[in-house]
Amino acid sequence: MNPRALPAGLVLGLLAILVVAPLAGLLSLGGLQLNDPRELQFWHSAYIQRVLVFSLWQALLSTICSVLPAILVARSLALQPVFPLRALLLRLFALPLVVPSVVAVMAMVSVYGAGGWIPLGRSLYGINGILLAHVFFNLPLAVRLLLPYWQAIPRHHWQLAAQLGMNAGQRWRLLEWPALREGLPGVLLLVFMLCLVSFAVVLTLGGGPRSTTLEVAIYQSLRFDFNPSRAVALALLQLALCVVVATLTQRLQRLPEVEIGLDPAPVGIRPVFSTFNLVLIALAAIYVGMPLLSMLIDALSGPWFEVLTETRLWQSIANTLIIGLSAALLSVAAGWFLLRYSASLAFEGRGLAARWIELAGSVVYVVPPLVIGTGMFVLLSSWADVFGWVYPIVIAVNALMGLPFVIRCLGPPMRQNHARYERLCRSLALAGWNRFRYLEWPLLRRPLGLAAGLVAALAMGDLGVIALFGTPESATLSLLIYQQLGAYLVSEATVTALMLLGVCLAAFWLLERGIGGGDRA
Amino acid sequence: MNLKPRRMTAALTALLLSFAAPAAQPTLTVYTYDSFTSDWGPGPKVKQAFEARCDCELELVGLEDGVSILNRIRLEGENTRADLLLGIDTNLTAEARATGLFEAHGITFDNSTLPRPWRDELFLPYDYGYFAFVYNRERLDEPPMSLHQLVDDNNGPTLLIQDPRTSTPGLGLLLWVRKVYGDRAGEAWAKLAPRIVTVSKGWSEAYGLFLKGEADMVLSYTTSPAYHMIAENDSRFAAARFEEGHYQQIEVAGMLAGSGQKRLARDFLRFMVSEEFQQIIPTTNWMFPAALANSKLPAEFSQLVDPSPSLLFDDEEVMKRRGAWIDEWLEVMSR
Repeated sequence: MNPRALPAGLVLGLLAILVVAPLAGLLSLGGLQLNDPRELQFWHSAYIQRVLVFSLWQALLSTICSVLPAILVARSLALQPVFPLRALLLRLFALPLVVPSVVAVMAMVSVYGAGGWIPLGRSLYGINGILLAHVFFNLPLAVRLLLPYWQAIPRHHWQLAAQLGMNAGQRWRLLEWPALREGLPGVLLLVFMLCLVSFAVVLTLGGGPRSTTLEVAIYQSLRFDFNPSRAVALALLQLALCVVVATLTQRLQRLPEVEIGLDPAPVGIRPVFSTFNLVLIALAAIYVGMPLLSMLIDALSGPWFEVLTETRLWQSIANTLIIGLSAALLSVAAGWFLLRYSASLAFEGRGLAARWIELAGSVVYVVPPLVIGTGMFVLLSSWADVFGWVYPIVIAVNALMGLPFVIRCLGPPMRQNHARYERLCRSLALAGWNRFRYLEWPLLRRPLGLAAGLVAALAMGDLGVIALFGTPESATLSLLIYQQLGAYLVSEATVTALMLLGVCLAAFWLLERGIGGGDRA
Repeated sequence: MNLKPRRMTAALTALLLSFAAPAAQPTLTVYTYDSFTSDWGPGPKVKQAFEARCDCELELVGLEDGVSILNRIRLEGENTRADLLLGIDTNLTAEARATGLFEAHGITFDNSTLPRPWRDELFLPYDYGYFAFVYNRERLDEPPMSLHQLVDDNNGPTLLIQDPRTSTPGLGLLLWVRKVYGDRAGEAWAKLAPRIVTVSKGWSEAYGLFLKGEADMVLSYTTSPAYHMIAENDSRFAAARFEEGHYQQIEVAGMLAGSGQKRLARDFLRFMVSEEFQQIIPTTNWMFPAALANSKLPAEFSQLVDPSPSLLFDDEEVMKRRGAWIDEWLEVMSR
């Protein structure tokens, strides 16, 4: 048996427990009442059809509007490896991920609202607002995820292309697109999932109940309606939808026909000053920067003294860091074992099995944390004091939610690494810790650092689970922001939001530096 | 809903008190919402005041909102470690009663200042408020005088409201329109719809957008202007008084039949309707206390609009018909 199967099996088993057990726990409360006329009526209603169609439509549109420009921007960044503040810009691109949705809504309104810098008036509310917000969240993420594919093209390929006198179009067709094609489907799927489960942004900027996503329906059935079995059915529907989209995007996938290099070198062409590239980068930076800048401006005039002297703030910062960093490490470790196994499967020619394993690790993202958390609660509350479990549960669920990010960052390089060095390792009997230390760590630490940074950002901005269990001691910064906003303390909340961004930036820097080992991305 | 930033001294006091609690004391566990337990909510003051007299520890567990409190109890059933629930409102009491987990409070509530007689044997109110459309005086000169005027004027003010599927005020507005328009509520919503800028998930989003100037009016509470007057010394904001009256929200507490601390729980309920507790409410929870003479309210509260007559559906009716009413609202608003 493949020795990598055991840890991967353990991770998959844990995944299953983390997702399936809570769903079962919820069903145990009522069971699926598929024969109940009211349930039948619900599933046949025009409402649920409308919700399904809208969820899909807005998620697909948001994905296209985020990822297509991201390809251009990532390409420009790859071809323009040296310019002032480039490293800072790339780090800023990880920030939108941490912005809690209510803060993002306010920031979008600061920029595009009636009194904003680019006033769109009422036309902001509707698909426009949804797209503006989703592109703000996902374009920078997609750029970060796509950028490494350019860096993976070996230097001598670029040199060859230059010798042959290829123009930009030919280089794109023969070098860049083949390299990109391996990773693009995964990035499309990830962004699609993020947009699919978007809720407060879609509802608030969407202008009303016309813009209702499945996630809203799940929330409604688990809260006001208290119909756990319907919530489970809706969550499974959402999961099924994602599996369908995932299988479709995978058809796009081709393993690279070009040889892939793993030496962490910048793109092997001499940086050519290109106005086009720099304009594209500047546009993306402005687009992502404006809402962030509006948050900064709002916060600068805020009551810093009052906010900073609250003991709760510092407690929340500590909680946020603990949750973010633990979830990041747990998620990266779980993803590592999963991917090590899937890479070896792919190497043995069992590519389909490898894909399904990665898919299983990814799509669990769309099972809402509210459903998982409530289900866990049902399971735990009968035999344990749930309040003692708040941290482990929040960390576990956030690590779970971070897994698709880890798989995205780490999957392709691990597969390439395996394909390239497996035979060598076997002949040298290089295995276990030594293989990790001398081969895998030096070559993979950069994607590891990026993965850890993204998961930490995601976990630090998360609200779902902690709000569900919340006790006074376990507040995080994002929860504190919601509490302040709920108490008229709008200007205090802007300061706390800026603190959250700062903490996130620091954590991201720490992980990218500490694990990734450098600035270059 | 809540209050004003508290300063370092208060935070330090709370910290010191938390070290001071000896282990042998009985603990009274109360599930409530987290804006009640937050530093600027009534929680810290209530805890301090009650512990000073009860020789016990008061454990306040803050959940997201009233619906979460009720759902938590439904999930835990008889295994719950809560002795008391504090923070569900009259739109949820029928469902809470249906769980069969509560016990009669047995308290003679003879100092009630609620604008209606209170007869519920299971739940005891601690505060109440009224929904209202809040506006900025500098932006809106002539606010509508009635719900009918708001609905009928096609060029009337633009609005921000909350979604009744996810938010308590959102549900409040739905019931308000239903109370005033009866079966013609759908028509009223159809007329209002073009002026609704957006429907947010919760109160915070809508109110935040309103403060950013995204619409003329926002659905909130008649007491919202009091916050701006007292905490920010800002008198630009006002609530529009509607002739038909305003829909009421009454927040209640109830004790669990399975509690092992029933004596303490009843002590707490008595304390809850006493002057000491009631005086904490206005400027921490920004609601009207359920048992406090008007003369003891902050002066700013006397400047708030008169919401009479107060409108309220029977809680059983809300439980039975809410689903159908929300469906109708969805239908009209999705056209």
